[in-house]
Amino acid sequence: MSALRVRGLRKSFGATRALDDVGLDVEQGTIHVLLGGNGSGKSTLLKALAGVVPADAGEIEVAGRKHDASSFNPGLARESGLHFVHQQASTFQDMTVAENLAIGRGFELGTGMRIQWRKVRRRTEEVLARFEIPASPDTEMAELGRATQTMVAIARALQDQEDVDQGIVFLDEPTACLPAKETVILLDALRRYAAAGQTIVLVTHRLKEATAVADRATVLRDGRLVATVDGDHIDHDQLVELIMGGVAVLQPRSPATRSPAGRVAQSDRPEALAVNGLVGGAVREASFEVHAGELVGIAGLLGSGRTTLLRLLFGLTPVESGEILGVGSRGAGYRPRDAMAAGLAYVPEDRAEAVFADMSVSDNLSIATLRDYWRGLRLRHGAEQADSRNLLGTFLIKASSEVAPVATLSGGNQQKVVLARWLRREPRVLLLDEPTQGVDIAARAEIYALIRQATDEGACALVVCADLEEITTFCDRALVLRDGRVVDDVPAEQLQLERLEREVHGTIGAATEAAVG
Amino acid sequence: MSSPTGTSSVSALAPRSGRRRRRPLRAYLEAYALVGCLVAIAVFFSLYSETADTFPTAGNLKTLLGNEAVLGIVALAALVPLVCGQFDLSVGAITGLSSIVVADTMSSGTPVLLTALIGIGIGLTIGTVNGLLVTVAGVNSVIATLGTATIAAGIVAQESGGVAIAGNIPESVFNFGSGETLGIPNVAYVLLVVAVAVYYLLDHTPIGRYVYALGSNVSAARLVGLRTDRVLAFSFVVAGVLAGMAGVLQVARTGGADPRLGDNFTLAAFAAAFLSAASVRPGRFNVGGAMVGIFFLAVLNSGLSLAGAPDYVALYVNGLALIIGVALAVFLGKRRLAV
Repeated sequence: MSALRVRGLRKSFGATRALDDVGLDVEQGTIHVLLGGNGSGKSTLLKALAGVVPADAGEIEVAGRKHDASSFNPGLARESGLHFVHQQASTFQDMTVAENLAIGRGFELGTGMRIQWRKVRRRTEEVLARFEIPASPDTEMAELGRATQTMVAIARALQDQEDVDQGIVFLDEPTACLPAKETVILLDALRRYAAAGQTIVLVTHRLKEATAVADRATVLRDGRLVATVDGDHIDHDQLVELIMGGVAVLQPRSPATRSPAGRVAQSDRPEALAVNGLVGGAVREASFEVHAGELVGIAGLLGSGRTTLLRLLFGLTPVESGEILGVGSRGAGYRPRDAMAAGLAYVPEDRAEAVFADMSVSDNLSIATLRDYWRGLRLRHGAEQADSRNLLGTFLIKASSEVAPVATLSGGNQQKVVLARWLRREPRVLLLDEPTQGVDIAARAEIYALIRQATDEGACALVVCADLEEITTFCDRALVLRDGRVVDDVPAEQLQLERLEREVHGTIGAATEAAVG
Repeated sequence: MSSPTGTSSVSALAPRSGRRRRRPLRAYLEAYALVGCLVAIAVFFSLYSETADTFPTAGNLKTLLGNEAVLGIVALAALVPLVCGQFDLSVGAITGLSSIVVADTMSSGTPVLLTALIGIGIGLTIGTVNGLLVTVAGVNSVIATLGTATIAAGIVAQESGGVAIAGNIPESVFNFGSGETLGIPNVAYVLLVVAVAVYYLLDHTPIGRYVYALGSNVSAARLVGLRTDRVLAFSFVVAGVLAGMAGVLQVARTGGADPRLGDNFTLAAFAAAFLSAASVRPGRFNVGGAMVGIFFLAVLNSGLSLAGAPDYVALYVNGLALIIGVALAVFLGKRRLAV
């Protein structure tokens, strides 16, 4: 039985066709995976179904009722039982878990509009138990790890589904920032809900997840429906082919992309950065060095200090003790400007933290190099925009023009803009936090190719990445962080998934750890 | 994205240059709609029987141009922190205080240039205090500037005793302020020079770009190494200096100073500053748009007053303009970013 039928959905933005005659059939009680590269129309499809950005034409049939897609609105979507959990978990950080779950649903009220906290708490406990969320109703959201926060956000969307199996929940990249272990828990849970009759639409970039959980997968490309594949026939390589179309995939696994620099004896290369007993934030006495030409992956769970490490190096988190050698400055006064002067560049995990959304692509590209265009007491706008146009080509950024606001670009392309902003400065040390999060596989390979190009030209790169397979695929070396300490330094020839996974979780005995340290 | 599927070359991913330079008609309409309204209103009052004799006269247009010069500079003062995403509610009060002090010191025989510097210095001082309050002390800009504005108003009341200062303003100053060159009031030239200077600052210098960047995303600004506190404080200092200059010009224009001036200026200046995001460069606060906003409101108010509308109508107009300006700025800003 079809829970959702979409027919002939169309949506254009100016000359761009974001959705071109897209249809979708979601069966009751199944997990339907929606796949596609950046700019394939996935987000637009979700927005159309949520009624946030109505389509130009088409038909949406849900819960036995047909709606004209052009007049579909958020109210209708909710009424029809369509629930959405977005990429950035939309939770209230300074409120408790109980409050987060009750908001939108309504609090249990007593006489005089008084909130009956005991009932709210009891209900929250039930929901938490049902979703296996390790938190208490009174915990503040901010105290939870991001993984748990995502689970609460999902629970919030699903809690109303208790007795309705009419509803459909749309999960937009729910695993994007979850560590492997919790991804498994989440996907297991999703499978259980589906078995119980819950209909789930899952948007993901991770093909492994798609092949693991999907009852059916729909692939979009360039706004068009490419294929719908049934569960038994879903196969990794075929999906790659469908998502990419004919576009050549950069072969990440071929040894050619691994730089020769990573394989030569490291001591032959000049040291680009050295850290000695660094303490600050979540990082506890980290010591290591990185050589020019190296692409070093940083593996670690959420809360292991992996993000803090990069922020310490870039002067965003104050250093409590220890030294950073090779940046020309140390101590309390070390700020991003000093880091930049020493040739460091930092791309944060959260794209929204790095882009100037309402400013043009060109403005975003040149913001860290603006002084170069300041000649003869004026900004050379002509030269600035010409350079930006060239950068769009060099960094494979898809944009309608260099003067378009950066917010009109897809996520992967925004990421490339941020990366290009720094790479054009030819930094000595690249600090990248999850540079491929929420980015499709084609763009992922492109991003690593760009990083590799920089390291081949003599830079070194530190890349934090939750996807350990990505580290073994692309990096020359890996540092493993656990509880704020560097617990392992894995050279290229020993870079294997099993070892990273073991070290990250710390399941090996203390004896081995001591041997490493 | 609309390229045929299956293209394998990298160039297919690069932007296509075909429609880069063409701006759709809608964009032009949006950018110049307010200018169109301005012209339409001017034409209306030139033809409307009640005002046809009085509105389109050289005398009236000169008065209009001259009267708006001071307000125009105050609007530019409000604009700069607004670009940074901050409110400076003290601009009117700074202009008021500056004009009172300048009129006072001028009438007691202090050299003209020195008094002008004193007026600008007052703006510089209050602007610096605002900047420090917002950055170092971390006070919300609305609260900080409301505080300094109130204190400035207090000083005005104390200095003037609530009575307008008139007389003893040097002849040369008043002659400049009320005179004209080539048929255009001198003060209008001053506004033009200041507007060009602010435009240059915001659009043609790195610091101007940093001001916009800060208004767009503070954390991103920090990540690219900007000293965000300095840029923010700078915007308040610029606002203070401009408002101080407006006070000096006000004395030259009217040959005196009125203690009630400041209150009226802040709201009208903000109305124009917000309307700026609805024209010339829609969705962004900008100098050209602020000038359009100022004269749009001035023509409307002048026409209405000549048509016999009571004074309080101007309050309705300015209040509505402020609300509509803000709403339009939000709407156009969102539309520009729609994916």
